[in-house]
Amino acid sequence: MMMGKFLLQKIFQSMKQFKVGLLLMFLCSSCTVVKEYNKVAINDQDMELSAFPCERFETNFQIYREAAAGANGGKTGGGCGCN
Amino acid sequence: MVEKLEEAVGVIRQFLLLVACAVPVLVSAQVDSLTQFKKKVLDAVEVDVLMSYYQQEGIHAAVTGGLGNEYLTDYSPSIVVRMPVKEDAIITADVGLSAYTSASSSNGNPFNRTGASNTGEDGENYPRGSQGGSPPQGSPWIASTGASRKDVLTTVNIGYQKASDDRNHYWGVNLGGSLEYDYESFNAGVSYAQLWNEKNTELSLKGQVYLDRWKPIIPTELHEYESFQETFLYNKQSYFRGVSIIDNQGNSVAAYRPDRFESYTSVHRNSFAVSIGLSQVLSPKLQGAIFADIVRQEGLLSNPLQRVYFEDRSDYYVGNFRTLGNYDSTDNTDLFHLADDVERLPTSRLKTPLGMRLNYYLNEYVVLRSYLRYYRDDWGVKSNTLQIELPIRFNLAWKFVPIYRYYNQTAATYFAPYNSHLSSSDFYTSDYDLAQFNSHQWGFSIGYRSVFSALKFLDFGLKAAQMRAQVYNRSDGLSAFVVSTAFQFVLDQ
Repeated sequence: MMMGKFLLQKIFQSMKQFKVGLLLMFLCSSCTVVKEYNKVAINDQDMELSAFPCERFETNFQIYREAAAGANGGKTGGGCGCN
Repeated sequence: MVEKLEEAVGVIRQFLLLVACAVPVLVSAQVDSLTQFKKKVLDAVEVDVLMSYYQQEGIHAAVTGGLGNEYLTDYSPSIVVRMPVKEDAIITADVGLSAYTSASSSNGNPFNRTGASNTGEDGENYPRGSQGGSPPQGSPWIASTGASRKDVLTTVNIGYQKASDDRNHYWGVNLGGSLEYDYESFNAGVSYAQLWNEKNTELSLKGQVYLDRWKPIIPTELHEYESFQETFLYNKQSYFRGVSIIDNQGNSVAAYRPDRFESYTSVHRNSFAVSIGLSQVLSPKLQGAIFADIVRQEGLLSNPLQRVYFEDRSDYYVGNFRTLGNYDSTDNTDLFHLADDVERLPTSRLKTPLGMRLNYYLNEYVVLRSYLRYYRDDWGVKSNTLQIELPIRFNLAWKFVPIYRYYNQTAATYFAPYNSHLSSSDFYTSDYDLAQFNSHQWGFSIGYRSVFSALKFLDFGLKAAQMRAQVYNRSDGLSAFVVSTAFQFVLDQ
């Protein structure tokens, strides 16, 4: 219960930064609606907004060798990072 | 009148007959239209076979207090299987191994390489008994032959994701775990994603919990001192019985007292992560996403195997005193500095990374992929990451991708280099992963995609293949090389 409350507080705190990005994104989005038939380029495999399958190994060693992690749609915790 | 009535009945009969004939057709058409437009989330079973080889070299091994050999190799094969469940759902199974050898980890007991130590009841890391006349020798620059020099990490993750009929809502759950010699991890998570604005906007939420547990391995000298206290130089069961411990003048002394060391009362480490992502199609050729995570970690966040040396405490060694002047050089093959303590870090940490991806389709040959991240945590680390990829397509099948990544970070509040911490501090580490540095990573990827999955293996056709090779250079001298491959197969229908 305490943990949930704490996380919610932190979410709202960091939402200040997030809101700026969110606002910018929505400002941009409100101008454009791309129709499905016009998404040939958007649906290209290289346009995916996620890492490639092979990239997981690079992300993995970066989590070990660097203090920062997360915000890439991948692993955010767990594991000792002791190597 | 009767004729008219019969005529009307005939018309009605014809109409009913027509309706009777039309209904199945209409129903069939309706069913067809439903099945036709409800595209499967996944058409067939897909199998990804992934492999990676990683190698690093460095001079700041954390196990030996921020000074020593960081040579490490890691071989990681894994298999990911995605199976469709009816039209709307997918089950994913991800199984992997990570087999590593580490010079740094091996030096939990740095004296094993001489063969002088006996394997005792606790295994190679905490041998028991006398030295048999051969004095132990160790060095932070030479890998020991102890059990901790190698290990295998096994990971298993199972996920289930379901989509709504209109494909605008996705929810999922996942369970997983990993196991290695001194560490266990169990994780569970839930996720939800919603698309709207004609699928131009997507909001995703994810919650993940990791429940981890250490089985601490601590440096040999600290373990033996904790076990035998003042008698550890002459107790029959002590690994250091009869061993000459020398001070920085070369005198054999019995004054080594790492009294700051005490065993951990809690071996648990828990992580709670909440992730929010918002992606947006910005134009027919441009789309982006922002991600925000909040990660709270609690428990044993330090590594029990990593030594720390205090500047304000006397230094004690085992080995050849004549090597003392070259202790920080790779020429040192026979002198080892005994630890004052292991690293101590706070029992909580809050990480708040904020990331952004922006991809632009220049033309049918070139796409620009970019990733930017700002990170900060309450240990004083701030970091920036920039990654650029430029997929260049030669034809429908082949592409070449140059890759560059820049990273920097400030040091954690608790970091100091080898032998420069103060014993009065509550928290201390000499792990250079928490130091101030920047890094450059660059390399390339070669990708292959088969439209018709022409290459066959058993009942599977090769859908895509990728090879990535990267070089990583950190400003503190650590360098690494990683090569990975991915083969994606699809089950023939």
